Amino acid sequence: MDAPADTLNYMIAGYTVIFGGMGLYIVSLVVRLRRLKQEQVDLESLDES
Amino acid sequence: MPEKPRLLKIIDIIAVVLLVAASVLVFFYAPTEKVMGLVQKIFYFHVASNWVGMLSFVAAAATGIGYLRTNDLRWDVASLAAVELGMVFMVIGIITGSIWARPIWNTWWTWDPRLTTTTIMLLVYAAYLMLRQGIDEPEKRARFGAVYVIVGALSVPLTFFSIRYFRTIHPVLIGDSDPGATGAFDMVPMMLQTFMFSLLTYSVIFISLYWHRIRLGNLAAKVEQLKLRLG
Repeated sequence: MDAPADTLNYMIAGYTVIFGGMGLYIVSLVVRLRRLKQEQVDLESLDES
Repeated sequence: MPEKPRLLKIIDIIAVVLLVAASVLVFFYAPTEKVMGLVQKIFYFHVASNWVGMLSFVAAAATGIGYLRTNDLRWDVASLAAVELGMVFMVIGIITGSIWARPIWNTWWTWDPRLTTTTIMLLVYAAYLMLRQGIDEPEKRARFGAVYVIVGALSVPLTFFSIRYFRTIHPVLIGDSDPGATGAFDMVPMMLQTFMFSLLTYSVIFISLYWHRIRLGNLAAKVEQLKLRLG
């Protein structure tokens, strides 16, 4: 019986995209959230003064 | 911004635990497919990514209807959040599909009906994100966005059924594949269990990320209001 095709590298590439893509999106959410929170603080202090 | 809700914290933890468990199932439980080899394992998260992508676009249409019925801008925030999430997961789905196709179809890309309709769907929503940028007035932007995502959602069933109604080389998972399909395989019970678990995992990830993205959108709207007030 023939052995399965050697496609390990493609599987690694696929899962790099999957986990990397989700990870990058989560990082982008965190970065945007921090930026907006800071902006909110700055604007509120400007509003009070 | 209000503190992160307790339920969201619990969903986040469940999502992480499920993702770890699903990865263990994919790499250590599901058997290696006899012809394609290890690349077949991409399928579990590839299909789940596309599932989340399509679910997001349906959610965008549902929230678009919500806006048209109520004129409440929070629905628009939810629509935008859904489209962004859908784009992320559809892009992951397309790239992983392309990586799978290289050794199985011997090409990175072909204008097969499934790939073509997926590309059209992605372009429809990419255009939505770009066109929104050009409208300054929030109510006008929300109305335009709501109508757009409702009409745009027609691309979802078109993409889903493309492999069932057109001649295609893309395998069909549930139902019979086209005789010309390449890369189809019989799912043994362990593969099916892993696949169903992956779909469940991604559904929970969807809830978690969607909720986070809506919170982000609400904060952005609040900051925009503050800016307008300060002139």
